[in-house]
Amino acid sequence: MLRFSIQRSTRYFSTSIPRQQQHLTDVAIIGAGPAGLSLAAALKANPTTKSLSVGLIEGSSLDPVKNFSQSPPENFTNRVSSITAQSVDYLEHIGAWKFIDQARIEPFDNIVAYDGLSNSRIEFDNMEMGTMCENINLQSCLLQRIEELNDPTLKIWDSTKVTNIANDTDDAANGWPVIQLSNGDSVKTRLLVGADGFNSPVRKFAAIESRGWAYDRFGVVASLKLKYEDYRSIAWQRFLPTGPVALLPLPEKNATMVWSTTPELSKLLVGLPEDVFIALANCAFVLPQVDLNYYYTLAQNEEYDELLSDIKWRFENYTSKPTIDIEDFPIALESVIPQSRARFPLKLSHADSYVSNRVALVGDAAHTTHPLAGQGLNMGQGDVKSLVESLELAMKRGLDIGNLLALEPYWAQRWPENHVLLGVVDKLHKLYSIDWSPVVAVRSWGLDVVNSLPMLKDFMMKQVSGK
Amino acid sequence: MLKLSKSLVSQIPKVQGTLGKVTFSSSYTRQYSVSADEETKHFNHLAASWWDINGPQRILHKMNLVRMDFIQQNITNSISLNDKSTPQGEEVYVPGYNLNLLPKEISEQILSDQKEKRTKEYEKLQLRCLDIGCGGGILSESLARLPIVKSVNGLDLASEVVEIARKHKDLDPIIKNKITYELKALESVNKDEMYDVVTMFEILEHVDQPGEFLKEGLSHLKKDGLLFLSTINKDFVSWFTTIFMGEYMLGIVPVGTHHLEKYIDYKTLDNLMGQQKRFEVLSAKGGSYFPCYGWYLHSHPEFGNYFMAIKRIE
Ligand SMILES: Cc1cc2nc3c(=O)[nH]c(=O)nc-3n(C[C@H](O)[C@H](O)[C@H](O)COP(=O)(O)OP(=O)(O)OC[C@H]3O[C@@H](n4cnc5c(N)ncnc54)[C@H](O)[C@@H]3O)c2cc1C
Repeated sequence: MLRFSIQRSTRYFSTSIPRQQQHLTDVAIIGAGPAGLSLAAALKANPTTKSLSVGLIEGSSLDPVKNFSQSPPENFTNRVSSITAQSVDYLEHIGAWKFIDQARIEPFDNIVAYDGLSNSRIEFDNMEMGTMCENINLQSCLLQRIEELNDPTLKIWDSTKVTNIANDTDDAANGWPVIQLSNGDSVKTRLLVGADGFNSPVRKFAAIESRGWAYDRFGVVASLKLKYEDYRSIAWQRFLPTGPVALLPLPEKNATMVWSTTPELSKLLVGLPEDVFIALANCAFVLPQVDLNYYYTLAQNEEYDELLSDIKWRFENYTSKPTIDIEDFPIALESVIPQSRARFPLKLSHADSYVSNRVALVGDAAHTTHPLAGQGLNMGQGDVKSLVESLELAMKRGLDIGNLLALEPYWAQRWPENHVLLGVVDKLHKLYSIDWSPVVAVRSWGLDVVNSLPMLKDFMMKQVSGK
Repeated sequence: MLKLSKSLVSQIPKVQGTLGKVTFSSSYTRQYSVSADEETKHFNHLAASWWDINGPQRILHKMNLVRMDFIQQNITNSISLNDKSTPQGEEVYVPGYNLNLLPKEISEQILSDQKEKRTKEYEKLQLRCLDIGCGGGILSESLARLPIVKSVNGLDLASEVVEIARKHKDLDPIIKNKITYELKALESVNKDEMYDVVTMFEILEHVDQPGEFLKEGLSHLKKDGLLFLSTINKDFVSWFTTIFMGEYMLGIVPVGTHHLEKYIDYKTLDNLMGQQKRFEVLSAKGGSYFPCYGWYLHSHPEFGNYFMAIKRIE
């Protein structure tokens, strides 16, 4: 549709005042995370929407993403997500999945979830439950697809922050958004898409309210090495009263973890010496809660030697009990990749709307969820699919793609779907954060019942695997 | 030649429902009538809110979506896969029997060849369109945004809405040079001005001689060109919804806007077209409106609102 047109501002002096350009696009996407890159690739892969001119603006540098395919880092990065079969289907559909680095992904067909207080457990096994994939691997495959499409009407500005967004006229109904960039240029756009993550400047510009709450929990992520390779391809999740701790498989001896816990404990875990962290992490998957609480105290008091020797002794004792089958637990952790520990605040939030005049939100800009069900990134892929379909339909109907008539079908389709999922995940988190014993009893009974009722299990599995 | 005393092409709302059900539906109509000055006033005050999709014209904006679906569908279906200019050997195979008789792989291959050819032919189109009763330009703009449309000429007789249409198209750089709006009646259009597409949405019900008016529109159609129209059947459903509810009960439009005796039935139009050797009815659909959903097209053009696509074949 639109070609990039450039207007130069008048230069009054012949000295070197930086030239400011105003670019004109049909779609300006803010944020080159999984959602933004996927949207750019999908728009250009679609026979109808490919005629739209697209600008993609990202605050940080995309060099690590660009270099990933040629020289991937030796160790696994710490932002890893489970990608549902549904998301993989979509990434295949837009022609991106063929570029994924196959050596760095790990499918799993089993989820074992167990209760930290009662040890009752539930197992889900199913072909292609999900695939563990580094976020940067996903971004890299999308960027390679964009390069393959080689479309001159797609422009990427990275290392370029959005500093301001305003309407080009006072008349909000007829104006177009103008995005001010940190390099001095600006972009005027028919449709502005916020794929700009939780703090979404686009959402703020559109004055769309986002409601939710912080869980008062942080997710500690880390890249780990196992003692030996686990061939069972299981995603492990143990519900502790402080939140779930998950160990997720990566190729060979690698694994990644998300340990959701209180703000104080998360800070402690990220700062501990590596060997102490690994010892505690091993406990978190096996030992009873009372022991864990004792070790947290030792760690807080920096009594590391005491802690390490006690854990060693307890572990050997506990795991040699006749009632304990070592097969029921993950393979022990050997080490943590240096500098791979980080923590993220966990929150649930949902924007009141995903669209307003000339604005659409996708991915974390529209909703954030607890990572326990591994849905955040996948919800963003679902958003992208639905938005592109809506824009395609709108173009066939000759609508202005920035008009609400074009955008309404997107939000009508996605908002209720995401709302249900956010609610399910939130309730799971709440249920498993309670250590009051009648609840634990009911909850454990619940897990056992669920485990023996295939129908209920199937339903939960469908929610989680997106099929 | 024609003795039509139409003086106004504009759009006014009217409500319409489905008999026996509690559901309501409404539509907006353009109006041709004798008392021009009076009615022009009625419509001009609507002009200000024309482009507010949540405003009083929302139902019309929603109707435009199904109009466009109907137009696209008929343009695509009327593409001939093998015309005389197709070089030998490059024709697409179109079997003269049901594809289900063939093995699945073969029938799928035939369908995908046809689809590919159709897409190729579709993308080559450069249509010139005449939008009769363009109002504020809702349909004209949609047509102009299609890559297959080269130009749109919109006609209306209400000066204020034409002004609104002109101002609004200038807001969008990709359509601003594709559309021209004229304050002009259909019968004043130059006889040799020919178009690939002529549209007459919600007009016939306001014209004294709808048959003659339709013929006038058809006379501007090039060979293989398409005329699209929508109007209302002369039935109890229509009377109840547009006149009884719309004018008397809800007061959405002024009393006297509609005249049931002017409505023209689908069957009458279909018969009329049956007598015309140069034209063929490609498709006819009924249209209903449901609140919270919008418009949808169905296969019963003989009740309430209906849409027609007519092709000039000679
Ligand atoms: C601990 C943890 C574990 C998780 N595990 C999973 C999982 O297993 N499965 C799953 O599906 N999801 C998981 N998620 C969620 C997932 O990571 C997110 O949902 C996903 O990354 C969101 O992608 P996005 O593209 O919407 O936003 P982001 O990845 O946040 O991208 C937003 C982009 O916008 C850019 N940006 C922001 N502001 C500006 C500005 N002003 N100017 C320019 N650029 C800007 C940022 O630089 C960033 O690159 C997890 C999240 C956490 C915290």
